[in-house]
Amino acid sequence: MRILFLIFNRLLWFIPTLLGLLVLIFTISHIIPADPVAFFAGENATNEQIAELRAFYGFDKPLYIQLWNYMIAVFQGDLGVSLYTQRPISQDMFARLPATLELTLVSVFVSTIIGVPLGVIAAVKRNSLIDHVLRLITVSGLAIASFWMAILFQLLFSMELAITPLQGRIDGWGPDHITGFFLIDSLIVGDWELFWSAASHLILPVATLAFPAMATIVRFTRSGVLDAINSNYVLYEQAMGFPERIIIWKYVLRNALIGTVTQIGLIFGILIAGTVVVEAIFNWPGLGLYAVNSILNSDYNAIMGFTLTTGAMFIGVNLAVDVIQSLIDPRNQG
Amino acid sequence: MFKINTVKYLALTVAISLTGAFIAPGNVEAKNKFVFANSSPYDTLDPHTVYDVGRVATRINLYDGLMSWMDNPPQLQPTLAESYTISDDALSYTFTLRKGTKFHDGSTLEADDVVYSMERLLGMKKGAFSLFSNTIEPGTTKALDSNTVQFNLTEPSSVFLATVPALSIVNADLVKSHEVNGDWGAVWLSQNEAGSGSFALSRYDPAIGFSAKRFPDHFQGWGDKYLDEIEFRTVVEVNSRVLGLMNGDFHGTDGYLPQDQVKRLAASDNVNVLAEESMRIFYSIINNGRKPFDDINLRKAISYSFDYDSFINDILSGSAARNVGPSPNNIWGSPSDVTGYTYDLEKAKEHLALVKGPVREITIGALAGYQQTEQAAALLQNGLNKIGLKTKIVAEPWSVASAKMRNEQEMYDLLFLWKSTYYADPNNWMGELYACNQIGARNNSWYCNPEVDALLTEARVNPDQAVRAANYEKAYKLIVEDAAGVFIYNTKWFGPYNKSVKGVRFSPIGNAQEMRWIYME
Repeated sequence: MRILFLIFNRLLWFIPTLLGLLVLIFTISHIIPADPVAFFAGENATNEQIAELRAFYGFDKPLYIQLWNYMIAVFQGDLGVSLYTQRPISQDMFARLPATLELTLVSVFVSTIIGVPLGVIAAVKRNSLIDHVLRLITVSGLAIASFWMAILFQLLFSMELAITPLQGRIDGWGPDHITGFFLIDSLIVGDWELFWSAASHLILPVATLAFPAMATIVRFTRSGVLDAINSNYVLYEQAMGFPERIIIWKYVLRNALIGTVTQIGLIFGILIAGTVVVEAIFNWPGLGLYAVNSILNSDYNAIMGFTLTTGAMFIGVNLAVDVIQSLIDPRNQG
Repeated sequence: MFKINTVKYLALTVAISLTGAFIAPGNVEAKNKFVFANSSPYDTLDPHTVYDVGRVATRINLYDGLMSWMDNPPQLQPTLAESYTISDDALSYTFTLRKGTKFHDGSTLEADDVVYSMERLLGMKKGAFSLFSNTIEPGTTKALDSNTVQFNLTEPSSVFLATVPALSIVNADLVKSHEVNGDWGAVWLSQNEAGSGSFALSRYDPAIGFSAKRFPDHFQGWGDKYLDEIEFRTVVEVNSRVLGLMNGDFHGTDGYLPQDQVKRLAASDNVNVLAEESMRIFYSIINNGRKPFDDINLRKAISYSFDYDSFINDILSGSAARNVGPSPNNIWGSPSDVTGYTYDLEKAKEHLALVKGPVREITIGALAGYQQTEQAAALLQNGLNKIGLKTKIVAEPWSVASAKMRNEQEMYDLLFLWKSTYYADPNNWMGELYACNQIGARNNSWYCNPEVDALLTEARVNPDQAVRAANYEKAYKLIVEDAAGVFIYNTKWFGPYNKSVKGVRFSPIGNAQEMRWIYME
């Protein structure tokens, strides 16, 4: 019941948060001195022709009227059409969403299942050689620029060793659209060759995205485990003769993970932003590339659609984090 | 105090991290399939909504025009049309179509399709619309019979024929059947095709690109060697395009890569780099209409302050051809006896001394993300500083710069950019960039010299080629003499292709992306 109340409470904040995001991004994108109409009308278009087109799209109206019209459309579920493709924004964007989600979710999964155990090891073996090595690795993960690391990975694993694909999401065009997640779709149709192709194409972009995320998780897990290890209940459990692995993996880790889970939620948002660079380098046909092109073209509706969608995703993930935290730590349920 | 089976967990971790690491990359390249890595996204396939170099492949491979440009220097040749006539008053252009030309759905291409294509272009007001909007009114194009179509111009235009290839002919019945609320079938045609081109669309994903299969019934027929399938993929990152070409993922990519990447490709065992002089000039606009740039001596001082040789030979490693005037060296109408400006700071100072009134800080515009424009701006800034002028560089994206270029007050004092070939006629450069009636549209220099304008106007309407050429040559010399801009180079195209690729035919319009001539050995 308390969790339901928590979810309801968070959902109430969902609307004003998205509304604030909408107003902010709409204003910023429209006051930039770019003119998408001049851009797509062609170099030879006269100023009169451009003015006519601007009126057709409603860009001649005051900004607050444009904003009001847009808000009404959004509340009716209409994100508008792209100025360039004429297709509905929702169609263009949701076609790319699975690619970015697949990349991001696999990266979060990999960084978590590697980062949490390494964080525990670093804490348990604190100030040992292993701890120092892990510190070196995690600091590197946080310090190295992802675009540089991505290119290094390409040069080493694709060009020199030739054991991973260089770029792209799959060989050829991929399976027919079912969910849009190639790993899942290839399994649904039972095509193992496609599955391995999709999995192998994930290796380098996931490694690039997951490395800094893993570094963060290792540091937070280490810190959380160290705090928990020094608690009285751990001393009590040791005195009771509990096996050490039970104490660490069942009791200490549960308490230590509270901060880590929060971080994983934040990391998800950071990874979504990080896909812009990684998708460009690995030619990954996702939302990040779509966002970049939309911004370069000043395609207002596309910019707004991307921002609202990722904003909603981020809020959704944070809601999930809150729920998970409450399950881990009942004190948060109030 | 705690013991943990460290080895076990480390082993687990390493195993997970290496999962799949030994999966060899697949290679599904079909024989005789050409894969091109393109820097621009194919976000739409509609030939009437875009008219840029980046997405030219969709227009010239999936569609045909009445006429087309071939080879270098570009030759205009009949394509869907087998002949044309021009009325005595030069207002009516009548094209006779080849009989039996088929669209990809098997229907016959007729004059009504041409009429619909022109009406659609004018109605949508996008892409190549602006090439025709001043000369053809909607509703005036007529199908005289099923194989004859007539364009009726509002004023005589000797440039019209050169722009005809820009009109891609669509299957009118097919597009009409997908129109929704009078949208000219825009949504449907953005992700499908209705053409008669050498290749028929087989797959399209706006996030990835498109693939197309050879159209066996194309009216031009096929020789012994050809491609069965073409695939154009969007790869925005230069490094990824280059590495992909080197390891065989791609068979070709764009021919305007940075020189360090061209050298890298040329050294690769897999790649041939073809070279041609293109028709794409690099220059700086000078805002002639704004004080103090309305003073010819200041413009000359600026022109003498740019180090042309260092820019071309050092920064660009000699990969471009010096071009001293407002149209490319290799098009008719460009005189060969003009020497233009050199880097001469003494002469710059002499002209600066003649400038009436003080010279304020100069704003030099550059295009963000286009390294050459920023390098050229920095080089000019260095020269101007040496003659005592204060400058600041403003680098902004093209969408911002293109909006400012239409507003005299917001326009930069100078702006470095390129002018590409949309049709191979001197009007593409001089007529658009320096005619008075283009001010605020393509004439972003606010330059209006009545003598030049009279020459350009006559050249635009006079059908006599000799007269036109003479006029353009005179206008060229006057524009250079007026130092209306800082004219720097004409681009060379360095097309990198896999060594198995043969038959590439380069034209400045299309940049060798017409695939029907290409085959693989």
